[in-house]
Amino acid sequence: MRTQHTLTIQTGLEVVAVERLLQVTRYRGFQLAGMEMKPLADMSGLLVTLTILTDKPISLLTAQLNKLYDVQHLELHAAAPVTAALIA
Amino acid sequence: MTGAELVIKLLTEHKVDSIFGYPGGAIMPIYDALYQSPVKHYLCRHEQGGAFSAIGYARASGRTGVCMATSGPGATNLITSLADALLDSVPVVAITGQVSQAVAGTDAFQEVDVLGLSLTVTKHSFLVKNVADLADTLRQAFALAQSGRPGPVLVDIPKDVQLAAVEYQAPRQLTAVTDQRSPLPEQQLQLARTLLSQASKPIAYIGGGVHMAGALTELNDFLAQTGIPSVTTLKAMGSVEQTNPYYLSMLGMHGTQAANLAVQQTDLLICLGARFDDRVTGNLQKFAPDAKVIHLDIDPAELNKLRRADCAMLGDLRQLLPQMVTSVQCQAWQQHCLQLKQQFGWRYDHPGERIYAPLLLKQLSERMPDNSVVSCDVGQHQMWVAQHMRFSTPRNHLSSGGLGTMGFGLPAAIGAQISRPQDTSIVVSGDGSFMMNVQELATIKRFRLPVKIVVIDNQRLGMVKQWQQLFFAGRYSETDLSDNPDFVSLAAAFAIPGHSISRKDEVADALEAMFSWPGPYLLHVRIDETDNVWPLVPPGAANHDMMTDLPQWEE
Repeated sequence: MRTQHTLTIQTGLEVVAVERLLQVTRYRGFQLAGMEMKPLADMSGLLVTLTILTDKPISLLTAQLNKLYDVQHLELHAAAPVTAALIA
Repeated sequence: MTGAELVIKLLTEHKVDSIFGYPGGAIMPIYDALYQSPVKHYLCRHEQGGAFSAIGYARASGRTGVCMATSGPGATNLITSLADALLDSVPVVAITGQVSQAVAGTDAFQEVDVLGLSLTVTKHSFLVKNVADLADTLRQAFALAQSGRPGPVLVDIPKDVQLAAVEYQAPRQLTAVTDQRSPLPEQQLQLARTLLSQASKPIAYIGGGVHMAGALTELNDFLAQTGIPSVTTLKAMGSVEQTNPYYLSMLGMHGTQAANLAVQQTDLLICLGARFDDRVTGNLQKFAPDAKVIHLDIDPAELNKLRRADCAMLGDLRQLLPQMVTSVQCQAWQQHCLQLKQQFGWRYDHPGERIYAPLLLKQLSERMPDNSVVSCDVGQHQMWVAQHMRFSTPRNHLSSGGLGTMGFGLPAAIGAQISRPQDTSIVVSGDGSFMMNVQELATIKRFRLPVKIVVIDNQRLGMVKQWQQLFFAGRYSETDLSDNPDFVSLAAAFAIPGHSISRKDEVADALEAMFSWPGPYLLHVRIDETDNVWPLVPPGAANHDMMTDLPQWEE
């Protein structure tokens, strides 16, 4: 079943950290349905929120993202089944 | 000092005595700092060759390999080798020069986005924008390359950073990279011991992660104490002691029939530092169909990635393996595995006078000095090396496993020779692969490296041709290499003597001549283009559905 997941990821401040998140998401075969990004209040890093649509276990993505040296913290929020309207 | 001088200082700080590379405009300050430094630089004749030499150096020695290149084409030429190091988990640090930051992003001469290019082929990569960050960045690079699952790390250094003034400061404690040794997973270990004690047909599936974890002693103790039969991946050849009677050799597409059949029949697959690669599993859905799985690895992303494990454990194999020892009742299974091994042993009674490559490689294996390092390229000869040569440790068998890169063998053998000058370095190549980094003969000549080169020549791109024969109706599209150069004359142009043979009765004397010669030597071996690699698991098939050569032999 296709599921929507939301991941909140704290990275270093370099833009390339976001490139890595997107590259891994694409390469591992996950669909990106949304993204937000803002610097942390103390400008020590970036807070990136990814919305992912997939029919695969999300752990296959989080395990790869967690390996990235740029990723300081990753939080996976409660998943939600995707309705036909959302897919369309 | 300058940033460039700091780079050399950091190399010595990490006890790097040998590096491989090629100079160019954007890395000239570093090459200037290298001049008359204690770090020995091996000038290769192509950056890809330099990086493969760094890989060979690392794989043969266990140390981190270091390679350097300039910006633009120098850096892009590293990419294939970095991908090779990533897929085979080899610790390499690549240092690239970059155009000065004043012109960065303007499509300057020899400018390319190296950081962007590196994203998919490195474990991590850095662009150093401030000379004050240079030392810590290089220290992080070396730590990252070796930590956890090893891999390549690239450090891109703009020319202005290389030229900027900086003071050397001794290393401080890094917090980013730490020893990730964690408490033992007692619950999982208990589950593993229970699964082992309940199994009647267990088998250990051993990958390259075992020796990279320095856990060969623990592995062989585990196998000896439990009596569990074992198979290895290509990268793990040499992990199991040769005296172990229940070792069935390599599994997978060109694995032994005994190994593949035993894995298909097992009721408990103990996967140690391996990753269920498609060349190992064949049809994944049909791989070891009746087996429960215990999976141990240092990389959390490999657990449950392709095959769900009934018991998955993350951690240091040196710690975990001794805790897995328990009483295993599998005597009938052991006897079955011995019977498979006997029934499907290799045959070397190939008819005719011409050289049969498997027999040649068996003879080479028996004749080569103890502790020789064998590097090979990619293709039919690579599989024959894995099938018919014996290695006492994975450090003695360098093969491009994950990426399967033609052109790997010769430069890897150079790196191996430099890292282990006391041992014999041999490259077994094919006529297709050899031409892909043939320029590195100049490196052998320059440094008088006594590398022994065996070129197995069927005047074809053999493995592709084999697939064309079997799966593409014999339509031999672009696999005819019958216009190869005269390899012995080619070697002679680099002051490397050689000899060409084509008959079985020439092999023993030719090997003797090669090994008794004190310097580099090229042995050119002509084989028949109809010889194929057997057995073979066809694409999409299960590993028990192997194709073999028997009908042709019986003609």
